[in-house]
Amino acid sequence: MQKLEFFLRRLSTSLFVLIGVSVITFFLARVVPANPAALYIGPKARQEDIDRVTKQLGLDKPLPIQYAVYMQELLRGDLGTSISTKRPITEELAGRIPATLELLFSGMFIAVLFGVPLGVLSARSQGKPFDVGVRILSIAGVSMPAFFLGLILQIIFFRNLEILPLAGRVDSDLRFTNPLTEITNFLLIDSFVTSNWITFKDAFLHLVLPALTLAAYPMGLIARMTRAAMLETLEQDYIRTAKAYGIKQYVIIYLYALKNAISPTLTVIGLTFAFALTGTFFVEIIFNWPGLGLFTVRSLLNLDYPAIMGMTLFGSIGYVFINLVVDLLQAWVDPRISLH
Amino acid sequence: MAAVPVITPIDSENTRTLRHVLSVILREPLSLMSTAVIVLFILLATFAYQIAPYPEEGAGKTHADNTLLSPSAEHWFGTDKLGRDILSRIIMGARPALMIPIGVVLFSVLIGAPLGALAGYKGGWLDEVIMRITDLFLAFPSLLLAMAIASALGRGLDKAAIALIVSWWPWYTRIARGVAVGLRERYFVEAAQAAGVSDTVIIFRHILPNTLSPILVQATVDMGTVILAMGGLAFLGLGTQPPSPDWGLMVSDGRGYILEQWWIATFPGIAIFIVVLAFNLLGDTLRDIFDPRQYK
Amino acid sequence: MKRFTLLVSLIVVLSVILSACGGAAATEAPVPVATEAPATEAPPVATEAPAVPLVLKYASSANITTWDPIASFSTEAAYMANMYEQLLRVNAPGSAEQFTPLLAESWSKSDDGLVWTFNLRPGVKFHDGEAMNAEAVKKSIELAKEKAGASFIWLPLDTVEAVDELTVKFTLKWAQPLELIVGSEYAAYIVSPKALDAAAADENFWSAGVSAGTGPYMIESYTADQELVLTQNTEYWGGWETGQYEKVLVQFVPEATTRQQMLEGGETDIVTSIPVDSLETFANNPDYTVSIEPSLFNYTAFFNTLKAPLDDIKVRQALSYAMPYEDIINIGASGRGTQSYGSAPNGVFPYSTDVKQYTYDLEKAKELLKEAGHEGGGFSLRLTYAAENSTEEAFAPLIKDSFAQIGVDVTIEPLQFSEQWTLAKTDPATAQDIFLLLYWPTYSDAGADNLWSMFYGTAEAPHLNATKFNLSYWYNEQYNALMDEASGLSGTDLTASLAKYTEAQNLLVGEAPAAFLFDTKVAVVVPNDITGFQYNLNYPDVRFWFYDLRPVQ
Repeated sequence: MQKLEFFLRRLSTSLFVLIGVSVITFFLARVVPANPAALYIGPKARQEDIDRVTKQLGLDKPLPIQYAVYMQELLRGDLGTSISTKRPITEELAGRIPATLELLFSGMFIAVLFGVPLGVLSARSQGKPFDVGVRILSIAGVSMPAFFLGLILQIIFFRNLEILPLAGRVDSDLRFTNPLTEITNFLLIDSFVTSNWITFKDAFLHLVLPALTLAAYPMGLIARMTRAAMLETLEQDYIRTAKAYGIKQYVIIYLYALKNAISPTLTVIGLTFAFALTGTFFVEIIFNWPGLGLFTVRSLLNLDYPAIMGMTLFGSIGYVFINLVVDLLQAWVDPRISLH
Repeated sequence: MAAVPVITPIDSENTRTLRHVLSVILREPLSLMSTAVIVLFILLATFAYQIAPYPEEGAGKTHADNTLLSPSAEHWFGTDKLGRDILSRIIMGARPALMIPIGVVLFSVLIGAPLGALAGYKGGWLDEVIMRITDLFLAFPSLLLAMAIASALGRGLDKAAIALIVSWWPWYTRIARGVAVGLRERYFVEAAQAAGVSDTVIIFRHILPNTLSPILVQATVDMGTVILAMGGLAFLGLGTQPPSPDWGLMVSDGRGYILEQWWIATFPGIAIFIVVLAFNLLGDTLRDIFDPRQYK
Repeated sequence: MKRFTLLVSLIVVLSVILSACGGAAATEAPVPVATEAPATEAPPVATEAPAVPLVLKYASSANITTWDPIASFSTEAAYMANMYEQLLRVNAPGSAEQFTPLLAESWSKSDDGLVWTFNLRPGVKFHDGEAMNAEAVKKSIELAKEKAGASFIWLPLDTVEAVDELTVKFTLKWAQPLELIVGSEYAAYIVSPKALDAAAADENFWSAGVSAGTGPYMIESYTADQELVLTQNTEYWGGWETGQYEKVLVQFVPEATTRQQMLEGGETDIVTSIPVDSLETFANNPDYTVSIEPSLFNYTAFFNTLKAPLDDIKVRQALSYAMPYEDIINIGASGRGTQSYGSAPNGVFPYSTDVKQYTYDLEKAKELLKEAGHEGGGFSLRLTYAAENSTEEAFAPLIKDSFAQIGVDVTIEPLQFSEQWTLAKTDPATAQDIFLLLYWPTYSDAGADNLWSMFYGTAEAPHLNATKFNLSYWYNEQYNALMDEASGLSGTDLTASLAKYTEAQNLLVGEAPAAFLFDTKVAVVVPNDITGFQYNLNYPDVRFWFYDLRPVQ
């Protein structure tokens, strides 16, 4: 019952937050002073056309009515139409989500794959050079600007070593020589499932640098959090008891400590998803990755206000959703939290 | 025997004096180096005109004959597409790189902390309202919010700074509130209330000063984060505009040249990295001192 | 442990759901309405299975505002011109012939320049199989006149008639050089009548990416904002040789730096443009040629002639002498430009070097100011320019610095173009003093366009009149009279017309309602492993004519 109550409370908080988010996003976009209708049509349109489009887009009505219309459409799942591409924003989102998700998951995967063991190992050798090294490395990961790291990797691996491609998701020649049937739009999955190994290898190679760039910050954070959590857990009484009983060291660490260190690690994973979301802006620009980040940045620079609203809303909803999931998972895994 | 002295945090208030803090910082090599870097950074910012070898170029004057020179004795970091000395631009760029984040963090604290203290101290519906609004702003990934605001307000350094302040103040509200909630039950607060001291005075005299240490920790780390955010906004074209010697802008300018003239983007990027690293390391150490039980 | 497994499976489930959404939406993405493969007489040049098609990769900044060839009035002309054709094409200045016959093989006009007869090319088919004939031409032109984005180019047209299967007769209300109009980059394409009917019935007909022209390429697939694949029209009347590109893959890349990187990294063959500062590097690179070509874009600085002190001609002339023309070109446009002679750009009728120019002469400027009663300057001006335009951003400060030397204080204000525009159109009394504008004529007649659109004023409310670019709010009866004469002659006697236009321009420059800054040149980077590139300034949005390009063997 307590858990259910907690769940409901968190859910209602999230809903309230989402409504507030929609208000702020709407407010932001309508504060834009420029004449969006003129942008919509093109450089040499006539004034009558501009006026017509202003009416068409509903920009001449008073703000509260515009907001009401906006909310109505939102609840129907209509995020509006992008000014630059003239397509519904939901379509733009759907088309680009797979690219960004593929990048995000790969980046987070690398971050967790390296971050957790590094954190565990450095907790084990606390105070020793390895520990200090990991500490510096993880803070370095957190301090490195994503847009710069990407460039450096491009210089090293594309220009100097010439073993990885510069940018893009896949070599455009391949669509003609080894066309890929698109099922999920995750290139790795699709090419794997259809045994299109050439495309698989190419997509994989193109994924390496962007994923690495994205992984730096989460990896640093995860390593530190895991280390701290492990340290705290290792000092607990029951660990010392287990040691006293002579159970082998590595069993102690991995079975007991790790399991209890999951909770704070989960928090971090949730937090880093937020960064990863904004990190995709830079990574996608540098690597010309056709995902949500690239689309958002272009919309911001073009003042494509429906797209800006849609993306901000979507990003925040995603963030809220992930935080909710992380909180709930934490409560489930660690009963102490739900009593908060 | 530990190769590096481990900081053993002492959990009692009276050791957190400035002397103690300084001695801890100066003992550990890492934090000593970070402090040195930050001091160097401040010096560069203050005496930029005197230190930079070509200060006019740092400010934006072009030198059409010298374009795209690789690092040499005359130009340690080479020159960019308009012939400007990169080292000078980095040095001149230290001033905005320092001042703006200080301003942003300062304003965020000035707005956020009193709000949080008020919320935590008073409790009740005021607390609810303030915290709901704070949660609302925190619901946006900070950089995304900053970008959206910056794009709505238009391009420019001042607008980017406003955008960042709006995105960052909630963090301090939360911290201050946490402290206030912890303190309001304490006997000295109750005593002051019994003595008839007004709420405002209590907040400013008793509660806010106690928020200093966690806020200081957060602020130090935030310096690094805000520098990254400013650089990011400038990189995208939303923040500082040319020809200002903003480091993020320099990286963006150099992006088209990374294949041949790698130095244009590399040195400013390294500058950002080192400064942010220094702030993060220092913040890490401060956190160890003030709040050792906090996860690092 | 159990919880852990559950956790993992939850994550997996989530990812599957999310990817399913992405996948489902992807398959719902608009399937391009495939243009019917025309019935083939000869075997197609490229078969599907074994041979890898010859693909031209193009990283382009030109995005699509519409696929409707009638409505099209923007950057999508870059692709339209490769898919659709007009009756003829206006050749680049300096060519042996002035025009290239396209859908019209030959044409003639009556002595009074009011009746033009075009003889169409036989045996031409549209991408959807319909025959191109006089009825089709009539239908396209009438629709363009009625509702094209650039419909105003057809204002002089009275009627268009299909005399017989292959002959079309245009009757004009007043004489105009009709060849220039029918060869326009906008509103002059001949479109399949079947497609036009379908579009009339369904307003979304064009949006998925359909091509119904006669040109060498057709749309194969289109994903908005990402990429466009064109494939060759095997039935094209011009025929095909081996070595021509069978497909064109266009990737939409708005960032100039990214396009440059793609070029260097081999991910694209050609680009629309790269960052201006990188041109040096490419010019020195043996793998590339950077062609600098005159273009029909020019820059004008409009003076608000309704606001003091700019209402005084002497002040305007003074300011015209204080414009640092050379610096503006060298610093603002990196040397790529020539000072304007009036408003008609270099290479476009009625350009003439007989039109006078102001020199950069600060002494003269000061003198004129003194004569006007503003000795030493002493007033301030508000200059607006488009924030998106980096050239204007580069030279606006030069104007400010130069005017400061004669005692005129200028505040430069970058605004989003739409803001700059709204400000200018609202009320001249509160608008800017100086408006920097980048302009280009819709078709190759700057008499009908520039000189008219920008300076042919009306006595009443000059800022609200139909000629929307009259940003100096100027009205001069004599100028209008000269313009009317010149325009009337342009349909019958181009030489006489040119003389009259030159007279009008000299009057214009003398009255100085604006300062005529410079005609730009465009720089195009072409890799040396591709031949056939030729820039035609009459079609400014069309960087490349794909049909002419070939990889070097």
